[in-house]
Amino acid sequence: MPTGRSSADVGRHPGPATSLALLLGLRARGLRTPARVAVVVGVALLVAVTVVSATLPSQVGLAPELVEAMRRYLPVGFLAFVVTTATAVLFGGGGREAIAADQVVAYPLGPTTDHLAGLVLAPLNLAWLLQAWSLLAAVAVLTQGGHTWAAVVPVLLWLVAVTVAVQWLSWVVEYVRRGPHGELVVRTTAVLVGLTIVVVVATGHLLDAALWTPAAWASSLPAMGAAGDWLNWLFGCLLLLAAALGMAILGVGAARVTWTRPATTQARVETRRYAMRAFPRSDLRALVAVDRASVWRSAPLRRGLVLLSLLPVVVAFAGRLDWLMVPVLPGLVASGGALLFGVNAWALDARGAVWRESLPVAPRTVLVARAWVLVEVLTVASVATLLICGWRAGPPTSAELSAALCATAAIALRTVASGLRWSVRRPFSVDLRSVRATPAPPLVMVGYSARLAVAATLTGLVFSVVGRLFPWWYSVVLAVVLCATSVFSLWWTGRLWERPSVRSRVVETVASV
Amino acid sequence: MVEGRNPVCVLHTFPVTAVVRVGDLKVSFGSVVAVAGVSFEVRAGGATALLGRNGAGKSTTMRVLAGVVPASSGLAEVAGIDVAADPLEAKRRIGYCPDVGGLIPRATPWEHLQLSARLRGLRDWEPRARQLLDQFDLGGEAHRVTAGFSHGMGRRMSVALAVFHEPPVLLLDEPFDGVDPTGVDATLEAVADARARGAAVILSTHLRDLAVQACDHAVVLRGGLAVASVDATEMAGEGGARAYRALLG
Repeated sequence: MPTGRSSADVGRHPGPATSLALLLGLRARGLRTPARVAVVVGVALLVAVTVVSATLPSQVGLAPELVEAMRRYLPVGFLAFVVTTATAVLFGGGGREAIAADQVVAYPLGPTTDHLAGLVLAPLNLAWLLQAWSLLAAVAVLTQGGHTWAAVVPVLLWLVAVTVAVQWLSWVVEYVRRGPHGELVVRTTAVLVGLTIVVVVATGHLLDAALWTPAAWASSLPAMGAAGDWLNWLFGCLLLLAAALGMAILGVGAARVTWTRPATTQARVETRRYAMRAFPRSDLRALVAVDRASVWRSAPLRRGLVLLSLLPVVVAFAGRLDWLMVPVLPGLVASGGALLFGVNAWALDARGAVWRESLPVAPRTVLVARAWVLVEVLTVASVATLLICGWRAGPPTSAELSAALCATAAIALRTVASGLRWSVRRPFSVDLRSVRATPAPPLVMVGYSARLAVAATLTGLVFSVVGRLFPWWYSVVLAVVLCATSVFSLWWTGRLWERPSVRSRVVETVASV
Repeated sequence: MVEGRNPVCVLHTFPVTAVVRVGDLKVSFGSVVAVAGVSFEVRAGGATALLGRNGAGKSTTMRVLAGVVPASSGLAEVAGIDVAADPLEAKRRIGYCPDVGGLIPRATPWEHLQLSARLRGLRDWEPRARQLLDQFDLGGEAHRVTAGFSHGMGRRMSVALAVFHEPPVLLLDEPFDGVDPTGVDATLEAVADARARGAAVILSTHLRDLAVQACDHAVVLRGGLAVASVDATEMAGEGGARAYRALLG
């Protein structure tokens, strides 16, 4: 029987690109004016730094030996971009989401939109940005006097092609992971690949290996462009473009088949039975036990912690270290630890935050418990890094050892203080259940990671200099001063947290997932 | 069960008849007025239903009484304690089932109960915990994380947590939402037990029939104001339905 047209029949369904634009628009409309200004400023800053990275270094004169070393290791830089991008996306189980999956169930969004969102949001990652800027700067230095724009184009195409290829790979891995014995297959493969990389680096064959990969070919294209070898340059650029388009299409297919399999990682965690724990002997211990469980039973946090535990190993095999660098690295690893959940620490409670707030316990005890769990994570990560770095750097002087220990403690405490301050001042509604979840929106995460990384690097460098130039106790004095400022910051955050209006705002926000 | 830390938390020692007192309560979130001046009292052993449309101010009133949201002005008192003046002591005297979730996603029911027992200073709590888990048909799920629970299971667990320490004031916000008939019976039984002990119960729900069944009094909220305070029986049956619809406006 013929029927009249329903509202669902009228008009065309938006395509994936339009759907993504609508989703991003939905997110943007949810922002208040200051946040919108911050987003605009943030994006403008990212573009400005990219332009500066691609142009300014060509005006800087460097020592010929340094330029030669950069030329020699440029393929390794191109390859390193592949490895770090792949690591970030593979641990994210399909890359970034425009909006959490449970918030978009009411809308007819498909895997293609999801795939596009992962691609568009992939650059909002400090590791991606830093490597991209480094490659642009290196190419600008190496092509001084040539056509800078022609040198930059293949670098940008490489960044795009690699990002698209890695996104495809992440869907494939996720598809396998969701299949029979998937977790075992993926973990075994990851260990084998990791061991291969370690062996290659440890045996000093990194450069040789890089020369056997497409990274070596891609890294030669900027020089062709700068020198005016237009035919080869154009062929290379078109090939990169074709590869990017091809991988994007393959990625859509991979996303579609992955969507046909239900996510199993979190389901495994949620259907397990956990052993009873002994009755805690204090309120603080009880709170710490629940908070610790919230971290270790969350799929994205567990994966992040695994990645964090691998970083010291990577550091260990990256080459012989100087004690001048040792105070910097543990702090950087600690910053990474804080980015797992420390910058939005109350999100661990999610909807349970309302019930927890109704329990009779001093707000300060709750804050101390959360800080304690964060300290645990950061301590394990940074101490492991410190030990391995120390081993690779050889016997230190007392001043160098003191500088490294003090820097690790000072930066870890600073990171905890910053993370908790942000958690109280700017909570986000996030469900840390999905492996793709991050504790804050992508652009905010870039801001947090940049601030933590810059603070950790600068503080570490100051300790390096102090350790090299002054007796050991100078580092201790400096650490005491820095730790005192962090303790003051924590105390101030505690004061804020004790205000019922502040706690209420935090609880209402994190519980609205 | 013995209250270890808080021996004053014994019902018959309360000097006041009204265990819950709410007076001209106002709550604003920026320019949004959630509660615009609500007043009511609940006596020991009494149960008051908070009725009204979405956004009427029921949950916010509950949250103020639970010490989760601070009032902008007015009085919120539980068991003789001003919630604003001494929130910690007030929290010791309430059992609260929030309207949304209310459970820590990656903790098990047993861990929720253990945390509550520790923070409330309960001793010999395990038999009571097991009995409640069985009563709410959660005995088999005691050691699974609550993130994997269905909505109804979560609601049942939230009610079990609220009544666990036998508080003098029981605040149940939407306890029947999405709950199966067995769970509804368990919740009604828990409310009846609490009233029999002499606890004051406040129950917010959209299910008028269940509210009438569980409570002896009803307060209807509209636009953040109490527009009616009546005997629960006046909300019963067809006549009650008509009266209720008229009050909702």
